[in-house]
Amino acid sequence: MSNIAGKAYAMNVVTPIKWYRAWINRLIFWAGGLPFFSSHLKGLTTLSLIHYARWALVSPRQFPRLDESQPKETIKYTYMFFFSNFNGSWNQYVDSFHMAIPAGLDLFWHKNIKYPNSIPLQPFHSYINHNQIWTNHYYNAYPLATSNDIKAAIAVKKKLKKFIELNNFDSPELFQKEYNKLLNDVQEHLNLMEPTPIVSLSAEAVEKRRTADHHRFRNRAASSS
Amino acid sequence: MTVSLELHDIQGNVVKGYGRQHFSFARYILFAIHDERAGRKFIRNILPLITTATPWKTCDNDSGGVPKPEATTNIAFTYHGLKCLGLPESSLHSFPTDFSDGMRARRDILGDHGKSAPENWDPVWNHPDKKVAILVSINGQSTVAIENRYKEIQKILEGVKSGMEQLCGHRGESGAEDLPYQEASAIFNEQGDPTPKEHFGYTDGISNPFFKGTGKNPNLVIGSGKPSRDNPEGWAPIEPGEFLLGYRDESQETPKAPTPPLLAKNGTFMVYRKLHQNVNSFDTYLSNQSTKHPEFNEEEIAAKFAGRWRNGAPITRFPTEEEADNFVKSVKETKKALDNAKDAIELEEAELLYSVLLSQYSAFNYDEDLDGSRCPVGAHIRRCNPRGSLEYGTKAYATPGALTNRRRLLRRGLPYGDSSDRSRDDGNHGIIFMTLGASISRQFEFVQQQWINYGNDFKAANEKDPLLGNHGVDKLGRGNGKMLFQKNKGSDESPYFCSHIPRFVDMHGGEYFFLPSITALHFIGRGTVDGT
Ligand code: HEM
Repeated sequence: MSNIAGKAYAMNVVTPIKWYRAWINRLIFWAGGLPFFSSHLKGLTTLSLIHYARWALVSPRQFPRLDESQPKETIKYTYMFFFSNFNGSWNQYVDSFHMAIPAGLDLFWHKNIKYPNSIPLQPFHSYINHNQIWTNHYYNAYPLATSNDIKAAIAVKKKLKKFIELNNFDSPELFQKEYNKLLNDVQEHLNLMEPTPIVSLSAEAVEKRRTADHHRFRNRAASSS
Repeated sequence: MTVSLELHDIQGNVVKGYGRQHFSFARYILFAIHDERAGRKFIRNILPLITTATPWKTCDNDSGGVPKPEATTNIAFTYHGLKCLGLPESSLHSFPTDFSDGMRARRDILGDHGKSAPENWDPVWNHPDKKVAILVSINGQSTVAIENRYKEIQKILEGVKSGMEQLCGHRGESGAEDLPYQEASAIFNEQGDPTPKEHFGYTDGISNPFFKGTGKNPNLVIGSGKPSRDNPEGWAPIEPGEFLLGYRDESQETPKAPTPPLLAKNGTFMVYRKLHQNVNSFDTYLSNQSTKHPEFNEEEIAAKFAGRWRNGAPITRFPTEEEADNFVKSVKETKKALDNAKDAIELEEAELLYSVLLSQYSAFNYDEDLDGSRCPVGAHIRRCNPRGSLEYGTKAYATPGALTNRRRLLRRGLPYGDSSDRSRDDGNHGIIFMTLGASISRQFEFVQQQWINYGNDFKAANEKDPLLGNHGVDKLGRGNGKMLFQKNKGSDESPYFCSHIPRFVDMHGGEYFFLPSITALHFIGRGTVDGT
């Protein structure tokens, strides 16, 4: 039970809305995709700690049953599912959202049951805490990479490829000049990736136990083979 | 909205930077408590000496305030200390975990490893059966004033016999291991005058957050408040709840605080760290790097590391050494003109010019320098206070300081020791770094972990603060710190690379403290704190 894998944190929040109000939220999400509104949501893309964030509405009829044998439930509410993967700690993320795009948050969670608004912070913290669903299993293929690192790597790769294809280096001087230009072009992307700083003392303790278990497992596997 | 702080109830070091007000000397004393009643008696007896934030009388203004003392005294408690003093469990449990854990337990967050690990701290922090409970700090205008105040405190201590103990074990000059207190002071020049320098040669103590209710000159808000699009100057004062419990903070609520509320109000948290400076490594690095890669000279590399020239001029505003020197020269000349003004008109002119010049030390942001071509994105002051630059010029947040307003640090403290022998790293020289704020984890720990020892918020992956980062060593024993000096974006200049940066600063001991109000001190002293 941990929401953390490498530098990423997985957050899942599920909140109820009265079903007869949910059309307003659908309208808000639809409008969010329009150029006029999306410029108001620039904060979401500028907050560079976010891998992605997604909101989805599920009405009572849309809830799946695993199998015909699963009894039907009477579901009273429409639910809003919020999923996000980000870099850093829960506090860092929630607090950044609350300071950077409070109006955007209030729109997305418009009329969700007991939503307290994103300002002040302590009631907002309690609301998210109360409605957060813990992650059972979370896999991260690139535990050292933050969302910034991925974007940087893509940019460097693209520019490097172009540089190689350019290939008109008639003299060392010309090469030097073009190479300096390339370095300048990628200067904000040249970084070193290393393991994450610890997210919290408890997350660190979990990580240590996991590594120890992993070693024990490997040793056992080695000795039995 | 104007806010008035209850200055008479707030300890003086929250609002006043003593160092900037001619208090060039300090002494920090640590105590253990063996007996609850003795501890409480000590507090009751030292209370009349505690300096509050009540303004000091100035010579040309006798309308209010108290006379400026020769020496000040302040008192703060560790979590262990509050326990020893018999605070009820309900109050103890209401303190935040960062504080109750203490600095030692949080070392993995702070990056205090290797030479900086708690085992290697000054012995005073490592007494197995005598844990630090109380910190008393004295700041003085002279060594005599310090010594006199110290004696008064010794008398109070004698009054509680064996119930309390002053802890020895501060390291000092010539290998001393067991000093009874930590001495600190400004660094003095050859004429014997105090300077604002620290041991790497930088002018320090320039920038500090400007918050509501302190009664300071409102013009100082520019560059020291929070960046704001609503104010014509571009800056607004910070809410006091960022630095004091019981007041509104930047999230428009009163900060989380221990109970009962009277225990918390007008109090705050304080971080104490003795930071040793490896002066030889620093000088050597500058000299080697500038020899091997002479595009920048030593002064320029030093300036790019800090974000300020060693004379204090901010590099984003004064990008060349010449501009920085001229700026500081005109500050000095104006000061001279001010001192020698012959009549009221000359005085007024000089005063105006002087205040305009002084403001330029702090009145800047990085809006015109987003690419970091003047002040590198990873420079010490840009990391520790990005001044709205984490919005990356997009105007995308509700306020440009969205990611920084809740991470501001009120810095106090002074250098210690002597670094005139630059041929070695060991010895006794560094900074007693103290920072105050309403939340240790949100402010100090965040800055230390995310902005000093990591770089993702600056899109710099794991790159660390060049001056403060806990750089490791590579297989050949060289430092493995790195930094990149950005160039004008879109030009054909290559950025400048600094590699093999060694660790310039080691941690030699510290703790988290609670700095209560005068009211709370009364209750703690009498043993009448009750949250029910
Ligand atoms: C030996 C240790 C240190 C040295 C030599 C040092 C040096 C400096 C210098 C030269 C300045 C510029 C002067 C000024 O603006 O006042 C500065 C500013 C600052 N430092 Fe440090 N520092 C040290 C430790 C720290 C630590 C541990 C932190 C935080 C955890 C920190 C946070 C800051 C902040 C917040 C500023 C003001 C930035 C601004 O508002 O523009 N410093 N430091």
